[in-house]
Amino acid sequence: MRLTKVFVLAAGVAIFCGPIFSQAAAIAAPANTAAKPLSTRVVAYQIEAKLDPTKHTIAASETLTYKNLTGQPQQTFPFHLYLNAFQPQSTFMTEVRLAGTRGNGPDSDWDPKHFGSITVDKLEVEGAGDLTNKMEFIHPDDKNTADRTVFQITLPKPIAPGASVEFHITFHDVLPKVVERTGYVRDFDMVGQWFPKVGVWWKNAWNCHQFHATTEFFADFGTFDVKITVPQNEIVGAGGDLVASTNNSDGTKTLTYHSEDVHDFSWTASPSFTVVEDSWTGSQGPVKIHLLISPGHMGSAQRYIDVQKGTLRLFDQWYGPYPYDRITMVDPPHGGIDAGGMEYPTLITLGTSVHMPQGVLEPEIVTEHEFGHQYWYGMVATNEFEEAWLDEGINSYTEVKVMDALYGKNTSAVNFPFAQISETGMQQIGYLADPDKDPICRFAWKFINNDSYGGITYGKTALVLLTLEKVIGEDTLRQALHTYFMRFRFTHPTGEDFLKTIEEVSGKDLRWYFNQAIYGTQVLDYSLADAHSDPLKWWDAPAHASKKDDKDEVYRTYVTVVRKGDFVFPVDVDIKFDDGSTAVEHWDGQDRWMRYQYDRKAKIQSAQIDVHDQIPLDRDSFNNSFTEESDPRAAHKLRTIWVFASEWLSQLLAWLT
Amino acid sequence: MAAANRGTFFSGAGLVWQWQRLVWWIFAVCLIFGLFSTHEMTERASSLLDHSAAAQRLVNGFDASAIMMLQQVPDSPLEIQGHNIVHFSLLFVVFMLFVTGGILAAYVLDEKPTSTAFFEAAGHHFWRFFRLFIYLAIVLLPIAGLAAFTSAMYTRIQEQSISPYPGDYFAETAAVVILLLLIIVRLWFDMTQVIAVADDEKKMHRALRRAFGLLRRNFFSLFWLYLRVSVIAWALFAFGLHIWMYHLKPQSNVTAFLISQLMIVIWIATRLWQRASEAIWYRNYQANQVPGPAWTPPPSPMYMPVAAEPQA
Repeated sequence: MRLTKVFVLAAGVAIFCGPIFSQAAAIAAPANTAAKPLSTRVVAYQIEAKLDPTKHTIAASETLTYKNLTGQPQQTFPFHLYLNAFQPQSTFMTEVRLAGTRGNGPDSDWDPKHFGSITVDKLEVEGAGDLTNKMEFIHPDDKNTADRTVFQITLPKPIAPGASVEFHITFHDVLPKVVERTGYVRDFDMVGQWFPKVGVWWKNAWNCHQFHATTEFFADFGTFDVKITVPQNEIVGAGGDLVASTNNSDGTKTLTYHSEDVHDFSWTASPSFTVVEDSWTGSQGPVKIHLLISPGHMGSAQRYIDVQKGTLRLFDQWYGPYPYDRITMVDPPHGGIDAGGMEYPTLITLGTSVHMPQGVLEPEIVTEHEFGHQYWYGMVATNEFEEAWLDEGINSYTEVKVMDALYGKNTSAVNFPFAQISETGMQQIGYLADPDKDPICRFAWKFINNDSYGGITYGKTALVLLTLEKVIGEDTLRQALHTYFMRFRFTHPTGEDFLKTIEEVSGKDLRWYFNQAIYGTQVLDYSLADAHSDPLKWWDAPAHASKKDDKDEVYRTYVTVVRKGDFVFPVDVDIKFDDGSTAVEHWDGQDRWMRYQYDRKAKIQSAQIDVHDQIPLDRDSFNNSFTEESDPRAAHKLRTIWVFASEWLSQLLAWLT
Repeated sequence: MAAANRGTFFSGAGLVWQWQRLVWWIFAVCLIFGLFSTHEMTERASSLLDHSAAAQRLVNGFDASAIMMLQQVPDSPLEIQGHNIVHFSLLFVVFMLFVTGGILAAYVLDEKPTSTAFFEAAGHHFWRFFRLFIYLAIVLLPIAGLAAFTSAMYTRIQEQSISPYPGDYFAETAAVVILLLLIIVRLWFDMTQVIAVADDEKKMHRALRRAFGLLRRNFFSLFWLYLRVSVIAWALFAFGLHIWMYHLKPQSNVTAFLISQLMIVIWIATRLWQRASEAIWYRNYQANQVPGPAWTPPPSPMYMPVAAEPQA
């Protein structure tokens, strides 16, 4: 990693990090010095791990140096043991059975291969000796005593503020057959969430949640020095800089990685990877792109690289610099897609297939999204358990912006001559699946089901931010995100930090919006209920008849707009008349409906809410307008397709006769 | 044999062309069913889209997310899509089961299919063909088993193979094999229907046995006959889809409708082409059978009358 060199080679520090800090100073004005780490380093992990690629097990030892920066003495420390989620009676599996999860879900074809576990064989604390017997499994989120994803250890005496404590842990992992971001398939091993990880002291308490079906992770920043021993034919990718490689006499090799100012470390190994190297140069210098491609997926390699470079460029330009010197991209093999679409600091996992059509931008979207998490999760390290929208939601919004910029606004998800889907459309589809059960701000594991979690956390948040552009402007929101990133990178901000930053940058009180969009479950739906014109002197039939084509005939036009949903949002109504004249009405949306009336020598031609399509949060855009002239072409097109489908099905079935 | 087969191939097409009225009638019924099955959906779509500016997302292109949004709105036209189409498709199956007798009678007898003759033949063979339909379902069971087996094999190969290609190649090969098996089964049952009509065979199991014997003895010529027509049908279908999806302007509704219907007409015509070819083949087969030597009384014994024994 480039920052490693910075701290090792003091002479180059000022030149190398100058741009980082000058940009930071321009926005957030932090008092950084060249020698100062980018993050507050709470933890330092030193791990030695040996992979058995046949049994898919890892034998490891870990030394964790925890610096007590909590401001108070600490005696009890909680640790995550995420891999224990893959047990039938865990909280994770219970929730999967109840409400689903991402991917296929481990319960779809459960067999012993899906078991995964992490076992602490020994836990010693420097100065306190062997405390293995003091380990106690806790269940801070539920009363499931069978769940073993969090344990705590109480030391004989507290650690003073500012002091450090050293944990020595010997443990071994059994990787599950690939599920929920981690595990193995054939000769591929994705090793994520694999070591005992200490909780975060946050909001004056330990924050160390159990592993849930819909939650991700939360950890403190620090350094990682990891030695990985694997057979010599294995190709390894990891979230850190390779600083040493040694071939051992037993046919293995030991790779040493170093990473800093990150809060997690993951790695992958497979002898079947093809390595593709590239680089991109941004405002902070070159970034190495290290792509590990699985067999049969080389057709997607250039697509991965292209979108990665485009995303790096736009994030650098819009939100802030990427301060690491490397990004490792892992393409899981066929059958291993449940390990795909995941982010770890400086390592992301992707997803494609052998016959991925050019018009389906799935490899691009996954790559963009997971790289986006380097910002919204990796550096701005929000609590993914409690405020998943801050990483997934903001990231979905930036995904829309980046994909639209790179691949076109209407073709950023699917782009065939015969059909298109935009990124915004994708977010709408997700959101509309279950739009009104849960607020965005809900703890991730407390959503009614996985659909609601996904639709609200990803889709709704993206649409809320896209709609917010109408209120404060696209450029202002981009500036707000830039400020938020620069101010809160390498920290653990909250949702309120984000919202207040937007208010501060925009100079507007936006509580009326956030209270509904973030903290409420209201649905936004405006409808153009009625628009018609009547002759003003309707009773004067002979005169009216004679004036049939008379331009002097005066008409009374009514336009009625209805707020069908509970979400109150100001809208503009554009009205066009058949003499070319127009009217624009601004309605605050407070009442349930509003009627506008015009007496003109013209009849209505059309009336439309949100004529510029700036309110993607509106659940039904089809009822936003009324055109006097009927245009049946859309219905005809659908009919052609439906009739053909019906006839074709008839023909296939008639084959049986 | 090949020359004769080529003759059958083109004669079959000629027969379909000669009595193309059958094709157009079947197409008309198919289209009417299609329109009926989608009528309510179209009405609802019209009420939502005809006066909506957002409908332009479907006019000037085809924004598939708009379709998905349509699915979410109250009174969605897509709410009723599935079952209506399935119901009318099943009705069409019954219709085809009924008219097949009439169609084959026209082809086998090589006579102008008057309405009376057509419907008499249709009614005459309906229950026979219904029984045959059940036999077909039974015969298809092992093929379904084979499909399930290949699916399991595919999963197994995919799980074990580092490269995704062996599994994909296996699946593609298996699909072709199953498709060929289906063509053979259809060929067999079509021949059974021809025999039933040509010989007025009432016992379908007997007709099946005879058809099986014929198929066994003339497999390659008959299979080649069917395969060629199938390839032509699929090629034209793919060509039509390609034109529709890649070369038409999004606004070309009328052209799209005409192409889609042309694809259906061609599909129906090629299916009847197979039936007509087989009917002609059977006619030729019967005509070419060398009749067995007629029975003639054995010649009178050539003997001389024996003289009466002398009396003792």
